[in-house]
Amino acid sequence: MSVLIKQPSGAAPAAAAAGGKQRIRPSRRRKQRSGYLFLLPWFLGMLFTVIPFFASLYLAFTDYNLFTEPNFVGLANFQAMFEDPRLIQSLKVTFIYTFVSVPISLAVALLVALVLNRGLQGLSIYRSVYYLPSLLGGSVAIVMLWRYIFGNDGIVNGFLGLFGIQGPAWVTDPQFSLSTLIVLNVWTFGSPMVIFLAGLRQVPGMYYEAASIDGASKWRQFRSITLPLISPIIFFNLIMQLIGSFQTFTQGYVMSGGTGGPADSTLFYNLYLYQKGFTEFEMGYASAMAWLLLMIIAIFTAINFIASKFWVFYDN
Amino acid sequence: MKKTASTPIPRRLVLGAAVVAAGLALSACGGGGATSSGSGGNVELNFVFWGDANRAKMTEAALRIFEKKNPGITVKTEYQDSAPYADKLATRFAGGNPPDVLAMANRSLLEYAQRGTLADLKSFPELNLDKVPETTLSRGEVDGKLYGLATGVTTIGMVVNKTITDQAGVTIPDDKTWSWEDYAKFATEVTQKTGGKVYGAGYDVATETGPIILARQRGEDFYTKDNKLGVSEKTIEDWFQYSVDLRKSGGYPPAGFFEQIGGSPAQSYLAKGTVASQIIPINNFRGYNEAVEGEVVLLRIPGETTGERRGYSADPTMLWSIAAKSKHPKEAAKLVDFLTNDAEGAAEVLTQRGVPINPEVADAITPKLSADDKTFVDMMASIQEDDLPPAYVYPKGASVVADTLKQLTTEVEFGRVSPADAAKTFMEKSNAAINK
Repeated sequence: MSVLIKQPSGAAPAAAAAGGKQRIRPSRRRKQRSGYLFLLPWFLGMLFTVIPFFASLYLAFTDYNLFTEPNFVGLANFQAMFEDPRLIQSLKVTFIYTFVSVPISLAVALLVALVLNRGLQGLSIYRSVYYLPSLLGGSVAIVMLWRYIFGNDGIVNGFLGLFGIQGPAWVTDPQFSLSTLIVLNVWTFGSPMVIFLAGLRQVPGMYYEAASIDGASKWRQFRSITLPLISPIIFFNLIMQLIGSFQTFTQGYVMSGGTGGPADSTLFYNLYLYQKGFTEFEMGYASAMAWLLLMIIAIFTAINFIASKFWVFYDN
Repeated sequence: MKKTASTPIPRRLVLGAAVVAAGLALSACGGGGATSSGSGGNVELNFVFWGDANRAKMTEAALRIFEKKNPGITVKTEYQDSAPYADKLATRFAGGNPPDVLAMANRSLLEYAQRGTLADLKSFPELNLDKVPETTLSRGEVDGKLYGLATGVTTIGMVVNKTITDQAGVTIPDDKTWSWEDYAKFATEVTQKTGGKVYGAGYDVATETGPIILARQRGEDFYTKDNKLGVSEKTIEDWFQYSVDLRKSGGYPPAGFFEQIGGSPAQSYLAKGTVASQIIPINNFRGYNEAVEGEVVLLRIPGETTGERRGYSADPTMLWSIAAKSKHPKEAAKLVDFLTNDAEGAAEVLTQRGVPINPEVADAITPKLSADDKTFVDMMASIQEDDLPPAYVYPKGASVVADTLKQLTTEVEFGRVSPADAAKTFMEKSNAAINK
């Protein structure tokens, strides 16, 4: 990601050079062993993810109502998904949310990072302040607060009222309810911003100096120096934000009280999955939905990786 | 070969092993659940219900009496608002950790019963059902087995804020004879005469209890005897159209006015003073009268005498059920017996969950009732004076029907779909859910 200057480690290359490639030095083996030992708790924790992972793959091909034994139904769940209007609605909601909020969120994050990179006084304070929302943003308390802020008696409509504008019913009107969640997602731009900031600081100043000497404008400098050099970071943030927002659940659940309402306008894919599995007791279908989501995310990630060859510039 | 220096490795290994051990120990203690039994002594029952803090307080008082009368049994309770309660209950059953005694909603009874998750209450000698009328028992019976015992009977009614209507100079029509048109006129008048500050009607279009009564008034059974959907598409369309017309005339608040704020009387729009009337389960009348500033009167639902037949029925407010996999079924049965047949316990809870189904208990607590609760009990009695049409157990899929109604109500509210189309969609989806 960042432009690193490689520090050659002393011992290993020397050992390799001394013809010890076939034989790993005892100190290296020691380090490997203790490394694995430290990783052991994580491996054990994997049991909690790997087993349900494969269980859900099996359940995706069954009809399972949680109380009685699952029975095998083959591809019936997947076939039903194509004809399920609520599933299609949930895909629509999730896609709109993702493809609107992620670009805006990254743009704002980059913008703020650029501003902070100019070396302001009290940079660490600003950085923490902007980072804080992204820590809290997915929490139940903040989403509930959001519901009140955008509610009929909330601050947003109160503020608009000062200008004589009658604000819409943000939370209860199906047209606007998703926008409140998009705004929430953009508000939590802090975490990609911090990463952008770190990346911007890695860009060697001498490039900018050289460019100004040659008479390049700020915008030209941004376009030709900054963007290419931080493109790996943009790529990283893009992937992480995409994957994260496809999986949104809490915000939709709390904002709509678990219904995905009003009129399924906040029915995120994972929220619908939860409803199917736990309120309608169709766990087989829900498992199939989980695997479909996995495939969708995998496809988009693959597209991004392929596209990255064309716009991501790695210095080394 | 020279021996390698020994200290670095053992220290790292020890550290690593310690981390692993600590991790395992922590995860082990974290999972320790509340297993109830002690040695031959204390049984702890887990009892869950929905409601607000007030109901919980009264219930706890009754439970202390139960514990005194039954040394060796303690009861641990949990309660939530009704919507989160339904979710949590499903998750607990699915996770294999069901409560012992639970409150069950009418619309969920069959779904749980037909999956074998509830115990047959008739199979417990500890639970005495002799005094309970057969019509009440039948509301919780499936294939001859009793899966839910009514906690009490209630029905829905219209509460009107008389203080507001008096101030506005609007007379409340006679509730024994008023029609749905009369109600619409009344509501519109209230909004006009309060200058739009208070909306005349604030009833919830999305709750199925309204359409159920409307259907019955028209000679239809919303849910039929053989567990099917019996309401006609026209009735549903009329129900939606009524709300659209009322909204247009101003009697009902505009789209988006009602937000989800929770189900307690204190949080209601009636208590806020922005609507003048609401439909409520009348066992909650006291709660509303206390929460609302001003005088609130309890009226019958419109259309009782102008339709084909009476729409009212005496419904179980909710049902007590025992989990089939409960570890202490006998003690659980004792608790349900106490809740149903014990006059002392009933004196603590009074009519929170409806009129007690054991007539002796109902008589015993009548002198203790406050004026508001007496109003409720009297209304129940007078409604049941006439012969009411029969009512049946909600079929499986009833909660999907409830959700469909809720969704379509929002669509109609914002004009995204016409009442006719909404009714058509409702029939399709509801029939699909019930006949699955």
